[in-house]
Amino acid sequence: MNSYPASEKAFLGLNHAQVFVYVLMTVISILFLFITNAYLFRMNFQDWSPVPIPSLLWFNTICLALASVGMAWSKSGAKATDHQKTKVGLAIAGVFVVVFVSGQTWAWQELNASGYFLSSNPANTFFYLITALHAFHVLGGLVAWFVVTFRVFKGDATMLQPESVGLLGAYWHYMLLVWGVLFAMLITT
Amino acid sequence: MDQNSATYEGQKMYDPKGWWDTYVFSQDHKVIALQYVCVALAIGLTGMFLSLLMRMQLGFPGLFESIDAGSYYQDVTMHGMIMVIYLLTALFLGGFGNYLIPLMLGCRDMAFPFVNMLSFWMYFLSVIILVASFFVESGPTGAGWTLYPPQSILEGTPGGDGAGIILMLASLAVFIVAFTMGGLNYITTVLQSRAKGMTLMRMPLIIWCIFLATFLGLLAFPALLVGAIMLIFDRVLETSFFMPEIFKGGEVLDYGGGSPVLFQHLFWFFGHPEVYIIALPAFGIISELISVHARKNIFGYNMMVWALIAIAGIAFIVWAHHMYVAGMNPYLGFFFATTTLIIAVPTAIKVYNWVLTLWNANIKMTVPMLYCLAFLVTFLNGGLTGLFLGNVAVDVPLSDTYFVVGHFHMVMAVSPVLALYGGLYHWYPSVTGRMLNDTLGKIHFWITFVGTYLIYFPMHYIGFLGVPRRYYSNEQYDFIPQSVADLNQFITVCALIVGAAQFILLYNFIVSLYKGAIAPKNPWGACTLEWQTLESPPGHGNWGEQLPVVYRWPYEYGLPGATSDFVPQNVPDEQIT
Repeated sequence: MNSYPASEKAFLGLNHAQVFVYVLMTVISILFLFITNAYLFRMNFQDWSPVPIPSLLWFNTICLALASVGMAWSKSGAKATDHQKTKVGLAIAGVFVVVFVSGQTWAWQELNASGYFLSSNPANTFFYLITALHAFHVLGGLVAWFVVTFRVFKGDATMLQPESVGLLGAYWHYMLLVWGVLFAMLITT
Repeated sequence: MDQNSATYEGQKMYDPKGWWDTYVFSQDHKVIALQYVCVALAIGLTGMFLSLLMRMQLGFPGLFESIDAGSYYQDVTMHGMIMVIYLLTALFLGGFGNYLIPLMLGCRDMAFPFVNMLSFWMYFLSVIILVASFFVESGPTGAGWTLYPPQSILEGTPGGDGAGIILMLASLAVFIVAFTMGGLNYITTVLQSRAKGMTLMRMPLIIWCIFLATFLGLLAFPALLVGAIMLIFDRVLETSFFMPEIFKGGEVLDYGGGSPVLFQHLFWFFGHPEVYIIALPAFGIISELISVHARKNIFGYNMMVWALIAIAGIAFIVWAHHMYVAGMNPYLGFFFATTTLIIAVPTAIKVYNWVLTLWNANIKMTVPMLYCLAFLVTFLNGGLTGLFLGNVAVDVPLSDTYFVVGHFHMVMAVSPVLALYGGLYHWYPSVTGRMLNDTLGKIHFWITFVGTYLIYFPMHYIGFLGVPRRYYSNEQYDFIPQSVADLNQFITVCALIVGAAQFILLYNFIVSLYKGAIAPKNPWGACTLEWQTLESPPGHGNWGEQLPVVYRWPYEYGLPGATSDFVPQNVPDEQIT
């Protein structure tokens, strides 16, 4: 074994929070991988009757994409040390995510009112479960958004760094990506 | 300088204010480790008590009127779940992981101390929810630790008609959240917070083991979480993820079309890696203890690391060997039998390397070393019977017999517990600054070691006779000979003795805390960093003003020309002679 002192560097040049969030996103991916696996397994059974996807989901998808754009806007503001731009970007991201989650609950009510109850068919159950699990993770991101936004508006220099806003943005983009995959699965099966 | 408010490396240390912050809601990894150990041992004692109740019924049927078929199944279920999840997983990763990762890597604490504290309290909450199920109407679930639907959520199964099964599933969900918080912390700390010079290939093997076990857990527990959520849906909202059409008393229930096998896949995709989540930290403890107490370099460090990585990888493609009798396609069975046999290769590499470490070594027969030797033999025995069960053709007749009970207790109950005890005896001086009583340690060891063989070896024979596991009573069956009843009595007596012997350990722990001999700073002469702190036991922040710098690997024993038979990791070359 070598006996000279080696200089340890951060893993892949990442900071603590980045490693934490990226590994967390891996874990969440595994969670959704299992739920989609279960979905694809269960849909082959005879009692499966596909749910008509509410058109509202397209609008919700656009909202989530706009939230992602807001986060990208915010990060570019942080890079240019344009605090106003950072704040506007964060506000856009927060508002559109709230609209997205509200829109999802609206879609559930629409389906429920049309007679597609949660337990009346496994396809219905999966639809409610998958969209709820995704919305739950988006809400988790919203908690982080509250913390970051509060500190940014207070002028906390750490939070105004591109790494901080960018990391929150990474989670936002990731949630959009996950939703994209789930939505594609729901409308094509 | 007041260490509690110190600023090190430009970062302010967590500053506990008062007793509650220091001992209850502490963010110090060492306190959190002790909290994990205490809660895990407490719930583990409950699990052991439940096993003794089961043994009383099997050895002396009808002796206790309070043990009926329902309560027997509840005891079986809770014993299994408690021991696997709430004792061993929590103790190895929450206890040993929390204590050893920052100390062995030469950092001040976990990367995120607050999240670390939350992790413990979520674990505590999960234990409270689990224990609460003992007190609800109809008691805890009696569905078996695998919680297979449909029976786990149907009325008629003990705990199935009350809140027992719901509390179990809720407790598991909370535990998974706790594990995820802790696990993310361990991963970040290992990747980010190592001392200067502590390259990945200079990390002690136990840190590698905990690191990989954490990865396994982070990737496997989501499968259980998905299964648990879907099962709660089936139970509470009467959905049919897993529930097929069911006729009960001539009536058709509302369920229909679901697949119980889907739950089995989800459960075992978690369940098999869970075996390694327990086994890998045990491997790590043994690797440390063998090298220290045999005063010899660990044999084949690099090979050991790659074997661990191989085990962790293959652990994800063997799960269906738990489902050979679930009606799977024979080709699928062939695939899983093959992968199961392949995983024996890296595992055998580890066993060979431990044995080769012992070869020509200066073996000290300390209590930790006794546990190492016992682990090697026991793990080998349990592993060999695993080769039997990994083969479909042999597994089919042996499945659901006591042979399986004997096998998995040897390989994933007794073996990890032996490693656990070895680890507790080894690191007790680091935690408390005092030595455990050696004589009591040896008495406890011999009763536990010999006793567990007397308990589990006969079970293999009973299994060969075809005696099914999970039966509340074996009295009414012609194919079960009288010898089984005699053996069951013998096993029960042994189990009672081994159970009682565990209080020797508890007594030793408590009494040594106050009356044990004062431990030297590095009583075993180990090279790893946890023994090289300024204070012993290590204080808040672990390292005083200066973080250690690492110059060598963690197993530098018998270095030619050195003044001592070991060279700590933080000693530079010029100070060796």
